[in-house]
Amino acid sequence: MTAFIANIDLAFKTLAPRATDWQSILPEIAVAGLALFCLVQAMLLPKALRYLIPATARVGLCLVIVMSLITPAPWAPSSDLESFSGLLRQNLPFAGVRAVFLFSALLTSFLAAGFLRDRKAAVADYHHVLLVVTAAFMLLAQSNHFVTFFVSLETAAVGLYVLVGYLRRSDASLEAGVKYLVAGGLSSALLLMGIVLVYGSLGAVGVADSLNFTQIGKILALQTAAHTLSPLTLAGVALILGGVAFKLGAFPFHAWIPDVYQGAPTPTTAFLGTASKAAGAFTLVLLATGPFAPLAVKVGPLLAIATVLTLLVGNLGALAATDIKRTLALSGVSHAGFILAAVTATVVVPGITAYDYNAEQIVVFYLLAYLAGTFLTSQALVSLPAAEDHRRPQLALRGLLRRSPMLAASLGFGIGSLAGVPPTVGFIAKLLVLGLLVKAKLWWVLGAALISVAVSIHYYFSILREAVVRPSDDSEDLAPLEISFSARFLIGALATAALLGGLLILA
Amino acid sequence: MDTFPATLLQIAVTAPILIGLILITGRNLPRSFASGFAFGGFAIPAMLGPWLLLLWCTPTAPAQFQSAGPWGFGFALNGISAPLLAMTALVGFAAGIKALTQEVEARNTYLGLILFMLGGTLGVFATNHIVGFYFFHEFALIPTFILTLFWGGEGRRPAAMQMAIYLTAGAMASLAGILIALDASGLSFDNATFANLVEALARVEHLPAATGALVLFGLGTLASLFPFHSWAAPGYTAAPTPVSMIHAGALKKFGLYGIIIIGLSSLDITGGRLGQWFLWLAVANVFIVGLICLVQRDLKQLLSWSSVAHMGPIFLGLWVCGTSGKAEGLDAAVFLMVAHGLSCAALFLLANAVRTRAGTYRLDELGGLATRAPILAALFIAATMASIGLPGFGNFWGEIGIFLALRAQPLWLQGIIASTVVISAIYALRAVAATFFGPSSEALDKRFASAPFGDVSWNERAAAAVLLGASLLIGFMPSLITRSTNPLTAEITVHAQHAAKAPAAEPVQR
Repeated sequence: MTAFIANIDLAFKTLAPRATDWQSILPEIAVAGLALFCLVQAMLLPKALRYLIPATARVGLCLVIVMSLITPAPWAPSSDLESFSGLLRQNLPFAGVRAVFLFSALLTSFLAAGFLRDRKAAVADYHHVLLVVTAAFMLLAQSNHFVTFFVSLETAAVGLYVLVGYLRRSDASLEAGVKYLVAGGLSSALLLMGIVLVYGSLGAVGVADSLNFTQIGKILALQTAAHTLSPLTLAGVALILGGVAFKLGAFPFHAWIPDVYQGAPTPTTAFLGTASKAAGAFTLVLLATGPFAPLAVKVGPLLAIATVLTLLVGNLGALAATDIKRTLALSGVSHAGFILAAVTATVVVPGITAYDYNAEQIVVFYLLAYLAGTFLTSQALVSLPAAEDHRRPQLALRGLLRRSPMLAASLGFGIGSLAGVPPTVGFIAKLLVLGLLVKAKLWWVLGAALISVAVSIHYYFSILREAVVRPSDDSEDLAPLEISFSARFLIGALATAALLGGLLILA
Repeated sequence: MDTFPATLLQIAVTAPILIGLILITGRNLPRSFASGFAFGGFAIPAMLGPWLLLLWCTPTAPAQFQSAGPWGFGFALNGISAPLLAMTALVGFAAGIKALTQEVEARNTYLGLILFMLGGTLGVFATNHIVGFYFFHEFALIPTFILTLFWGGEGRRPAAMQMAIYLTAGAMASLAGILIALDASGLSFDNATFANLVEALARVEHLPAATGALVLFGLGTLASLFPFHSWAAPGYTAAPTPVSMIHAGALKKFGLYGIIIIGLSSLDITGGRLGQWFLWLAVANVFIVGLICLVQRDLKQLLSWSSVAHMGPIFLGLWVCGTSGKAEGLDAAVFLMVAHGLSCAALFLLANAVRTRAGTYRLDELGGLATRAPILAALFIAATMASIGLPGFGNFWGEIGIFLALRAQPLWLQGIIASTVVISAIYALRAVAATFFGPSSEALDKRFASAPFGDVSWNERAAAAVLLGASLLIGFMPSLITRSTNPLTAEITVHAQHAAKAPAAEPVQR
C-alpha cells in the first residue's frame, strides 16, 4: 500500500505541471478568463451598461493579440517546446497561429454585436461562447497528445453547435445547428474510432503512451523501416485524417459546409470559415508533419488526391450556387484545397520552402489572407439589411455601389482578395502556395489549382457584377445605407491590410 | 540620382497613374479641372514616349535608361520595348482625346480608369523585371474589365465576364510557367530581370517540358492566339471606344512582348512538338479567323475580329525566327506590332465616328456616308489601307518582312499565308464600300433628316492624324523602328537557337 502511494507520489511529482508550463499557455488562459469575465459582467452590470460587454471582450482580445505577438516570450519560445509532460507542444509558427484565431474572434465580435442586437439575441452569451471556442482552438493547435487533442476539439465543437444555432427564433439557424451537430457528431465518432485503433494497435506492441504524438511518430518510423505496419494502424490514421478533413472542409467531408454556412448567423459563418478552418488546417499540419510523417509515402498521395478533388468540387459547386453565403461557403472549400495543397507539398518534400517561407508559415499566411477577404465580404453582407439572414440572393446586391460606396468597396476588396487578384494579399498567398507546388513538382495539383483560380473568377465576379451594375428599374429600394463608425473603421483597416499586406510579405 | 532618360521613363509611366488616382479619388472635381488633368495624363506620355525612342536610337548607353524607381522593381528599356512604348503612348493620347469628348456617367472615374489602363500598359514595356511585368500586366487588365462592364455597349456583361475568365486563366498559366522557369533557373524574385532569366536558363539543361507551353498559351491568350481568342472580339466590341483602342492596339501587344522576351528568348517555344502546335495555331489565326471576318455584318465586330486575325502573321514571324534563326522574322513581327497598334486604334476611333453619325454599326444599315462626311471617309479609307498593308504605311514593312522571312518554308504554307492577304483585302474593302459608298440607306437618310450631322470633328481629326501620321512616318522611315529593334532581335534569335539546340546536343540516353 505504501509502495503504491509512493508510486503515485512519484508520478505526481514528475507529471505535475511546473510554473513554466502554465506560462506557456498564458494567452489561452487570458482568453478563457475573458470568456468568464463576459458572464460575470452579464450578471452584475445593469442593463444600461451591457454595451460594455463586447467592448471589454474586444479590448481584452486586442491585448492578448499584442501579448502573443511578442517574441520570444515564455508563451512563445523561440525553439520547439514541450509542456505539461508532453501533452502540449508549440512547434508551429505560434505567434501567427494565435493571431489567426484571435483576429478571427475579434472581427467576429465586431460583426456580431450589431447583428445580434438587431435580432434581439443575447450579446454577452455569444461572446462568452466565442471566446471559449477560441481558447479551445488555440490549445488544439498546440496539442501533442490525442487526449488534449480530442478534448480541446470537442470543447470547440460544442461551442460551435451553440453559435450555429444561436438565433433560436430562426428555423434556418436551428436547422443548421442540428445539421452541424449530426455531421460533427459523425466526424467526432470517426476521429475517436481512429484514435482508438491507433492507440490499440500501437499499444499492443509495447509503446508506453501510444496517444503521445512524439512516441507515435517514433514507433511509426521504426515500423515503416521494418515493414511491420499493421493495417489497423493505417485504418486508424485514415480515420483520424478524415475527422480533421471534416474540420477543414475538405473532400469528401465537405458536404455539411454549404447548408451549415448558409443557415448559421453570418458572424458565425465568418468565424466557422476562418477559425474553424484554421483549426482543421493546423491540426492537419501537426499530424501530417508530426506523428504521421513516417507514413508520407502513403499519406502524400492521399492528400494530393484529396487536394485535387477539394479544389474541383468546391469550385464547380460554387459555380452553381446563387445564394451569396452558399457561394462563399463552397468557395471556402476550394480555399481549403489550397491549404491542403501546401500541406501536401510539405508532406511530399519535408522541410520544403518557397521564397524563404516554409510550408507552415505559408499556411498561416494563407489563412490570414483568407481571413481578411472573408471578413470584408461578411461585413458587407451583415450591413446589408435582409429579411432573413439565410437568404441572400445575389440580386439583393443590386445597386450596392449607389447605396453605399463604402460597402461596395468592402465587397470589392474582399472578393478581389479571395479571388487572388494581384496585388492583393490573397494573390500573394496563392503565389506562395503555387511556389510550393512548383518546388515539390506536384504538377497535377498545380494544374488543378490553376484551373480552380480561373473557374473561381466566374462566381466571384458575378457577385461583384451585381453590386456595381445599375439596377434595371427605379422601383427597387435604393435608399443610402447607414454604416456605423466601427464598421467603417473595420473596412478601412481590413482593406488596407488586403491591399498592402502581401507586398510586405514579399518585400 | 537617376540619369535623364531614366527619369523620363519613370515620369512617362507614373504620371498617368498618379493623375488617374487623383481623378478617381476626386470624383467630384469640377469638369474643366478634371479635363485639364486628364489631358495632361494622356499628353505627358505621348510626348515622352516618342522622345524616349529617339533617345534610345541615338548612341546612348542602355544603362542610362535603368533605374530602381519608386515601384520596387527595376525600370529599363530594350530595343523591342522602346518602339512599343512610343506606340502605346500615341495610341493612349488618341484614345484620351476620344475619351475627353465623350459624355459618360461618372466621367472622372471613367477617365481615371482609362489613365490606369494606359499607365499599366506603359509600365509593362518600361520594366525589365518579371515581377514588374506581371504587376503592370494585371494593373492594366483590371481597369479594362471594369471599364467594359460599366461603360460598355451592348452585350457588355457576358463579354466582360468571358474576358475576365479567359485572361485570368491565361495569366495563371503564364504565372505557372514563369514560376517553373524561375525555380529551374534558381533566381529569386529580387534579381529576376529578363536578362538574368535568359542567362540563367541558358545554363539549365532540363527544363520541365510544359514550361514553354504554359508561357506560350498563357500569354498567347492575352494576344488572342487561336483557339484562345474567342474572348477577344466580343470584348473589344462591347468595350467603350477608347478602351477598345488601347486594348486592341496596345494592351494585347504585351502578350506578344512577353512571348518574345521570355518564351522565345529562353524556352524553346518554336522547337519540337510545341513548335508544330504553334505553327498550326498561328496558321489558324490567319486563315480561320480571316474566314470569320468575311461573314461579319457589324463594323465594330469586323474590326475586332480582324484585329485577332492580324495577330496571325505576327505569330508566324516569331515562329520562323525561332525555327530557322531568321532575325528578320522577329524584326518584322515587332514592326507589325507597332504598326498594327496604330492602324487598329485609328480604325476603332473612326468606326465610332461613323456610329455617332449614323447611329449604328450594322453594315446593312449603313451606306453612302462619303457624300455626307467626305473627310471621315478619306481618313477611314486611309486607315483601312494601312491595316491591309499597303505600301506607305507601317504595316506594309511588317507584313512584307514576315512573308520574306517565310520564303524558305514549304510552298503550301506560303500559299495559305498569301491567300490571307486577299481575304483581308476583301473584308476590309467590302466594309469600306458598304459604309461609305453606294446609295445612302433609308435609315441613314431619315436620321440625317431628323438630326443633320457634320463631317468628322476637329478632335477626331487630331486623334486620327496622330495615329495615321505616325503610321505614315514609320512607313516612309522604317529605320525609326528597326534601328532600335535590330540589335536585340539578332541577340534573341541567337538565344532562341541556343534554347532549341541545347536539348538536342544532349546525348539521348546514357
